[in-house]
Formats: sequence, structure tokens, C-alpha cells
Amino acid sequence: MKIKILFFLILTLLSFSSYSQDVILPDLSGYKKVTDYPVYVPENLWDFIDGAADNYLAYGFVDLHVAEYKRGKNVIKLEIYRHSDNTVTFGIYSSERSPTFKFMDLGAQGYNVDGAINFFKGNYYVKIRTYSKKPKTLQAAETLAYKVTGLLEGSTQMPAILIQFPPEGKKSNGETFINESVLGHNFLNKAFKAVYEVGPDNFSIFIMQGSSPAESRKTVETYLATAGIDLIDQGNGKYVFADGYNGTIFLAWKDEKIVLISGLAKDQTAIADQYMSGILR
Amino acid sequence: MAFTPAIVSAAPSNQERNIIYRTLGKTGLKVPVIGFGVMRADNASLCKAAYENGIKLFDTANGYQNGNNETMLGNLFKNYPRNSFFLATKVKPAGVDREGKPSSQTTAEDFLSKFNTSLSRLQMDYVDILYIHDISNPELFEYKPIINTVNKLKKDGKARFIGFSTHRNEPLVIDAAASINTFDVILTSYNFRQAYITEMNNAIKKATTAGIGIVTMKPMAGGKSTNASAALKWALANTDVTTAIPGMTAFDHLDVNLKVLSDLNMTEEEKNDIMIASADPGLYCVGCNQCTAVCRKNLPVPDLMRAYMYAYGYSNYAMARELLAELGINNNPCKDCSTCSVECSRNFKVREKITDISRLVNVPEEFLA
Repeated sequence: MKIKILFFLILTLLSFSSYSQDVILPDLSGYKKVTDYPVYVPENLWDFIDGAADNYLAYGFVDLHVAEYKRGKNVIKLEIYRHSDNTVTFGIYSSERSPTFKFMDLGAQGYNVDGAINFFKGNYYVKIRTYSKKPKTLQAAETLAYKVTGLLEGSTQMPAILIQFPPEGKKSNGETFINESVLGHNFLNKAFKAVYEVGPDNFSIFIMQGSSPAESRKTVETYLATAGIDLIDQGNGKYVFADGYNGTIFLAWKDEKIVLISGLAKDQTAIADQYMSGILR
Repeated sequence: MAFTPAIVSAAPSNQERNIIYRTLGKTGLKVPVIGFGVMRADNASLCKAAYENGIKLFDTANGYQNGNNETMLGNLFKNYPRNSFFLATKVKPAGVDREGKPSSQTTAEDFLSKFNTSLSRLQMDYVDILYIHDISNPELFEYKPIINTVNKLKKDGKARFIGFSTHRNEPLVIDAAASINTFDVILTSYNFRQAYITEMNNAIKKATTAGIGIVTMKPMAGGKSTNASAALKWALANTDVTTAIPGMTAFDHLDVNLKVLSDLNMTEEEKNDIMIASADPGLYCVGCNQCTAVCRKNLPVPDLMRAYMYAYGYSNYAMARELLAELGINNNPCKDCSTCSVECSRNFKVREKITDISRLVNVPEEFLA
């Protein structure tokens, strides 16, 4: 019995070994690096970013490493957030991204706005910030960003599912990933969203990739039930219904994939059909 | 395949509710006891549903979702009469250090620029409440570049009322604010798990006596499993609290909060849930540091509690071991003490936990790395 317990303990310990990867906080020429911040974890992230912590926790936050780089009165702060996987990392990154930002070739994607350089790579969301307006400091912040991205492991690709969104009318760099409560419903989770502007119409498309056809069917069944609709299809189907909170919803599903459109009127089935068919074909 | 149309709308009934209002201190604003902490919401329909069901105070910040949060609210509320809701936002002064002290980077220009950006995103001429975001040190009350700026914004009508939010050292900060005639409103964390609740209640009482309105946040103390309705009612049982602003991301959350909006009486089940949740210290050491002075071995008890949390909270044994190594723990440091001199404010059994977690230093590193 004792041997079994010991074996289980060792297995448990080994299974969590991936968390032990070290995050390297690079040096920056001409700046003094200060690393006296603790490593923040889910229980104390509030101590660092206050109420904003909830959003990070909802996107699988694992830990946060912080450093400051000081040169006289100029300070550059580096924050490296580690999340549980690439998709949720894109989720937290995209929740703070605006299509209007100046984008940079950093990691999978990054941008620079008002002295803040944010990017994500693999499971890491990196935020670099300076309040200095001096060009040399801003340049140093950019140099630091490139150093950090070179040191971090992980994919430099955007989530592959994004290419499934039809390009016609799609707002560039407006895609997001919503981990919980899509459209405010707690039974709808893990959806990629893109925003569209087609002529006078503004609408959003959501793609949810379930882990199995049965799981997706259950999700569809639950959603349709809120509108008083019985699910009659077995492996696919298209519906238009009034979501009491979100207005008209177009829903199509096939196997593991569910597509939702909100923002179109119920008589705009042709537009909905065009986009949904493009995704589900 | 053709679309299958719905035969029944899922629209919720908009029932008449006896909404409970309280007056927000000297502002005179009559606000429902539940507001909306918009912070994490990314669906304007949720905010719209809240508004249409009687919630009128919406709380955002310049930094939430890097501005996307304010933009969403601006796009929603441009469709409603400006006097039919209250909008609060927060602006964080730049360059405030970890002790909450301002620096040379804490400038009026930066603060003003951020506030004007907020107004632009919100598509509004004014906000009802402008909070200085996250004050943890009363020294900031003396810092004229920021205080003069918020006063001028109030005088110019761009902020009807001014206040600050606080998450750390709340009793100290609130107490200090109550002694000066600067702020109309304070937004503070307040919940049944706060170890310093007596100090909180005293400070809040002093503030309300001075005419400052109290808005509370973090009612659930970060506990997802906490009974949300009970936690809100607990906070609002203190009549010095005008309103609470729970975060909501789902219509289910809204449904729970709307019930509290018209009924603050705790059920027996809710009382029981609060009692149980209050008694459970969880794993998180609040870092009050009361233990460090009384430990006979001068152990870094809060750090050791953190190591324990890494191991048992997150199953992150490598990080726990690494921390123990940093702390110089190489055996059970409590083994010479037959009794423990530490009385933890959260009722942690400190000696037991340290004895337990210190065993990890004997696990070969290769098992963890």
C-alpha cells in the first residue's frame, strides 16, 4: 500500500513538472534591472492588477513575472503573463486589443500604443509599459520587447481557426476568443468571434469547436430550448430564433462545429446562410 | 436546408420590482443597491438587460480591457437619455510605486489625457463619478497634480462627483479620506472574508459621517464557489454601504443580482453559507504579517504559507520547492517547537502546514524539474 501511495505521489509530482519552466527576464543595456516583485499566481494577482485580475483568471492565468528597468527617472516595466494554453492566451490578448492600434511583428502578434507594447507568443502574454515620452526610452522599450519575444518559447502563429472566418466584410484584427459565457449565456463557452461590416449591416460571427459531436449537439439543444425549440436534427441543422437577451440569432451546426450570427434581422437569412455555409462546408 | 424559425420568443418578462434605493452620501444620488461592475463584460446586451431591469450605476475604468470596456458602454448608452443612468469610470495615475506613492511620472497631463480618452470612448460630455483608480497610500491625497486635476474636472462639469477606489490598506486610506473635504465617493473592496473587518466598518462609518458615499466591490472575496446572493446581502446589511457593484458576465449572474435588488433579507441557507465560507480560511495567506514578529524561529511564515498554497492549491510542487529553497528551508524548521507561538489571523494551523510543506525539500529535484 505504501509503495502504491509513493508511486502515486511521484506520478502526481511529475505530471505538474511543466510548470517549472523558468521565465527569463533579460537585461537591457544601459538600464538597471529590478526584479524584486514576487511571482504572482492566481491567488494574489489581485495584489498586482486589482479587479482586472478576474479577466485574466477567466482566461487560464497561471503566473506572472514582473521586472522594472530603470535609468534615472525613466522606468520601463515588463510583465510576462503565462496562461494555460495558446488559445486562452490569444483570448486575453485579444480582449485588450483594438483594431485601431499600430501592429508590430512581435511574437504571434503585437502592438504599440501610447508607450505600451503588448504581444503574445505561445502561452505568454507580454506587456511592456513606460510613461516616458523620450524617444530613447521608447526605443529601449521596443528593444526589450524583441529581446523578450526571442527568449520565450511557443508558437508565433495566430490560432488556426481564425482562417475559417470568411474575409468578406470582416474587420481586420477584430477577432477575439471568448472563454466563458458567450453572448452572456453560461452554457455557451469557448467561441472565436469576428466582427463584420457589410454595407449597412453590422454583425458578429461566433465559431465554437466542440470536443465531440455529442457535446456540440448538447450545446445546441440547450440554446434552442431557451427559445422553445426542440432539436430535431441529428448531426446538423440551421435555425433562426429570438434570443430574449441578444435579439435574432442564426445558428448552424455540423458535427463538432457550431456557428452563431448575431446582429442580423430575422429576414436576412440569405446573408446568414452565405456566411454559415462558407464556414461549415 | 432552410432555417427553422422559433415559435416562442425567449424574451424575459420585465416584472415590476420593488427596487431598493439608497442615497450616495453628499452626492444626493439615489442609486439602486446593486450596480454593475462592467469590467469583464464583453456583451452590451448584458448591460442593456441590466439597465432595463433597474440597474442604473455602471462602473468601468480607463484601463479595463485596454479601453474596449468603455467603448462598449459608449456605444450602448448613446441610445439612452443621459440622465437615466449613472456612469462611473476610473483613471489610474501613472508612475505610482508599489507603496502607493506618486513619482515624477505621476503628472496631471497624463491623468487628464487618460480621462479625456475615457470621455471620448464613452461618447459622453461628463461622467457621474470619476474615481482616482487604486489609492493605497494617503500620501496621494496630498499630491496636488492629481488632486487639483480631479477638482478642476468637477468644477468644469466633466465629472459630477469625484472619488477614489481602494483595494489595499483600505481602512487607513478611507479613514484619512474622511478627514479631508476632497471626495464625494469611495469605492472599496468589502466582504465577509476581510480579516480587518472591524477596522473597515469603523473607517466606513467615519466616511459616511463625513458625507462620503460608499460603493463596494469584490463582495465575493474572489471565491467563485461563494453564494453570490448571500455575499451581496452580507455587504449591504451594513447600511453605511450605499450600493455594491458585482461583476457580471452572464445573464445568470444578472438574475441572481436582480433578486437582491429588491430583497436584502438573508435566507437561512444564505446565512449558513456565509457562516461556512467565513470559517473556511482557504489557502491564501493575506500577508498581514502579524505572525512574523511572534514566531520564535523568526520564520518567514507568509512565504511558507505561499509555498503550501503552491503545492496544495495549484499542485505546483516545483514552484513550492523552489520557494522553499529560496527561503533556505532544508528540514522541518518547526521540529524544535512543541507548541506554536503564532496565532494566525486566518486561523491557519501554521506549524502543521510548515511541517507538512517542508518535507518537499527532501523530494529529489529531478522528480519535479
